[in-house]
Amino acid sequence: MTEPMIILLAGIFLPLFPMSMVFNAVLDNITQPWLRAILFITWPLCGLFVVFYSGVAIPGWVVTLALATSTLYALRMLTLREVNQWNGFLATSLWSLLWLAIMHDTPEMLLYGYALSMTVPLVLLVILSAGLEHRFGAAYTGLYGGLARTIPRFSGILVTVIVAAIATPLFPTFFIMFDMVVETIAVMPLAAIALLLIWLLWSWAGALLIQGLIVGRASKAKVADIDIPTIGLYSTVLLALAIAGIYMSRVIL
Amino acid sequence: MEQLIIVVAVLPLISALLIQLFAGSLGRSTARLSVAITTLSFILSALLLTWALTGQGPQTLQLGNSSAILLFDPLGTLLATIILGISLIVHLYSVRYMAEEAAYGQFFVLLDLMTAALLFMVIAGDLITLVIAWYLVGVLLYFLLGQDTRSQTAYRFAFWTLITYRIGDLPLILAAALLYNAYDTWSLTVIFNQIIANPHAHQFLGFSLTDVVAALIGLAAFARSAQFLLHTWLPYTMDGPTPVSALMHAGIVNAGGFLINRFAPVFVNSGDVLNMIFIVGLVTAIFGSLLMLTQNDIKKALGYSTMGQMGFMIMECGIGAFSLAIYHMFAHGVFKGTMFLSAGGVINSARHNDGIPKDELYTFAVEKQPNKARKPWLLMAAITLLVPLVILIFAHLLIAEDYFQKQGAVILLFFGWVTGAQLIFATYRMRTQNIWRMVGLSVLSLVIVVLGYVFISHAFDLFLYPDAAFRAQLYTAASIDILHFDVLVVVTTLIIVSGWAVTYYSEHSGYRRRQKSKHLWLNFYALISREFYISDIYTRLTRTLLVISGKLNVWLRWL
Repeated sequence: MTEPMIILLAGIFLPLFPMSMVFNAVLDNITQPWLRAILFITWPLCGLFVVFYSGVAIPGWVVTLALATSTLYALRMLTLREVNQWNGFLATSLWSLLWLAIMHDTPEMLLYGYALSMTVPLVLLVILSAGLEHRFGAAYTGLYGGLARTIPRFSGILVTVIVAAIATPLFPTFFIMFDMVVETIAVMPLAAIALLLIWLLWSWAGALLIQGLIVGRASKAKVADIDIPTIGLYSTVLLALAIAGIYMSRVIL
Repeated sequence: MEQLIIVVAVLPLISALLIQLFAGSLGRSTARLSVAITTLSFILSALLLTWALTGQGPQTLQLGNSSAILLFDPLGTLLATIILGISLIVHLYSVRYMAEEAAYGQFFVLLDLMTAALLFMVIAGDLITLVIAWYLVGVLLYFLLGQDTRSQTAYRFAFWTLITYRIGDLPLILAAALLYNAYDTWSLTVIFNQIIANPHAHQFLGFSLTDVVAALIGLAAFARSAQFLLHTWLPYTMDGPTPVSALMHAGIVNAGGFLINRFAPVFVNSGDVLNMIFIVGLVTAIFGSLLMLTQNDIKKALGYSTMGQMGFMIMECGIGAFSLAIYHMFAHGVFKGTMFLSAGGVINSARHNDGIPKDELYTFAVEKQPNKARKPWLLMAAITLLVPLVILIFAHLLIAEDYFQKQGAVILLFFGWVTGAQLIFATYRMRTQNIWRMVGLSVLSLVIVVLGYVFISHAFDLFLYPDAAFRAQLYTAASIDILHFDVLVVVTTLIIVSGWAVTYYSEHSGYRRRQKSKHLWLNFYALISREFYISDIYTRLTRTLLVISGKLNVWLRWL
């Protein structure tokens, strides 16, 4: 396989526009939450595998395209109301930045760690989104709202997962982004500024998603909240993620 | 003993964790637990402050096995005590104030986490801890302001705050990345020592790295302390709970002043950036005060008042009076916190009894029974201009004879003089029957305020920056060419005195205005009442961005 073909193939899994549309099209056609979760976990790993297995030399323009892709999807997240679609766009925006880490000669195993730790909050969001679909028939912002009053425990977890996904301390994505800025600023100052703007757009989109779901008066319809053991499970995963973030900070920063 | 600073910062985290875990079984007792732990933390920090006042420190401490470094130094211990003092008052107030809220326990969890984030921010000894704490303050404030999840308005303005704070995070992250690349360490102490040893050893894009970092730190401080163009969130975030407003106006918004102080060794080598900071602070102070005076909504007026005060605080940094900014933040914090927390009680009791004794002082000061005859204006003008000047010069000479050789000191004196003169000028305009009594009271209060401010700020100076040479360096760094400085002072004085003359003249001539000036005045008033259209411009820009986002989604078929 020629080098451009390998880049094209890798660009499907480590999204580069327009190949990035493939992932979102696939995600759009999967309705089973567990299949979605598997898709989220395997997709970036496949991309990294393609890059490392082929040993392809990455051309310089890939970084520019990766940043443009990430910015494009971060910007488009601002007007998304469907939670799964939002999740898919965030994944696209996050994974495309892995190209920068590859260009910075980040060790292979650490890159797999990056991809996994970026993806875990997204997988949790897939499950929570399924929970919303199960309870309300759709995971859509502004449709019902008031989740903080209707199902407070579920809302608490949902908010924490969104916060973790958009690279907030102490979760791993925060440290990965921080490291990318540190690595980029000296050699490509404009790329570092682009990274920060993408980060800002995630926060913006995350806040809009949170507001669209949890704010408002309680629903009159009786909806079951999640039980305490499930809360414990989610909390354990999130705590493990935060610990992984702190550990990662010692390794990469 | 110094190790206690770690306990002080970790205690609120433990409180938050305990409340989160046992909220169900503790019920409303969660508040008592939170108050108890905050009290303990406050007592320990007060002990540490006393320890630091005896001349102990500065010292760096490792946080457990982590790579995080904490600082035991005068700035950190002083601010930790102030933060915990304000946080304790807010906690106590919230016990009953928030009692009817559904998410009572969650509120105290957030309050404790916010206290912890603020503490870690002020005692952070490395850039990573500082950035994390700085970032988390914004996120936690968003959730605290949106405590009432039924209110769309509360969240709308909490969102403004979040975005502005996130904008402020970006330059700090960039500054941290640049410093790490240049000095290969995250430790603030090591970086500052190297900068002091060789200030301009590194370059970035052809500029001195010190200047670039100082400018970035300044930008981060502007966003956090609501400086002009990054201020719109502050007057509008009044839909959050009152204790959160108190905490925000008394503590969180002051973070800009702290950050500039923390990076003093960088700013001492970046005179141009200090001048820029002075200008931004000055513009903010003018706009904040102007907008405060024209608001018909008391809460927004309070918000703009805070903006004006933050402008003054940043301006003080810009003239090299770093420790004065810390004193300002402390004094303003106590003042504004008291206003917010007592507002409800005052309004409630005023409904039943206004509580004002109708005695001689009341009729004199409030009813302002006008006197037909006035004292000669020339005499009053002389008193207006000279009395504050004499008081200020005398008070400052008490602390240092060479005080007036620093430009920053002259600027402070200038502002003090304008304020004092304005006070006496306003007194003259009141036309009371006993003008001498009124002037006497004004002068007495001015003497108390000036002496108090001079001595306390001097004490802050000695405690925070014990090295006299460094203090002098800060003032020198902020200085400009002496000719420009003199011209600036004369022109500003002329503008202000002309303003007073115009005010006197227009009052004397019964406020008669020509048609043209009336029209101009109305246009100016419209501009102010729309708050210079800044919020409108931002709203328009936001909508444009959302339209672009939406169109892109449609064109790309949501894939």
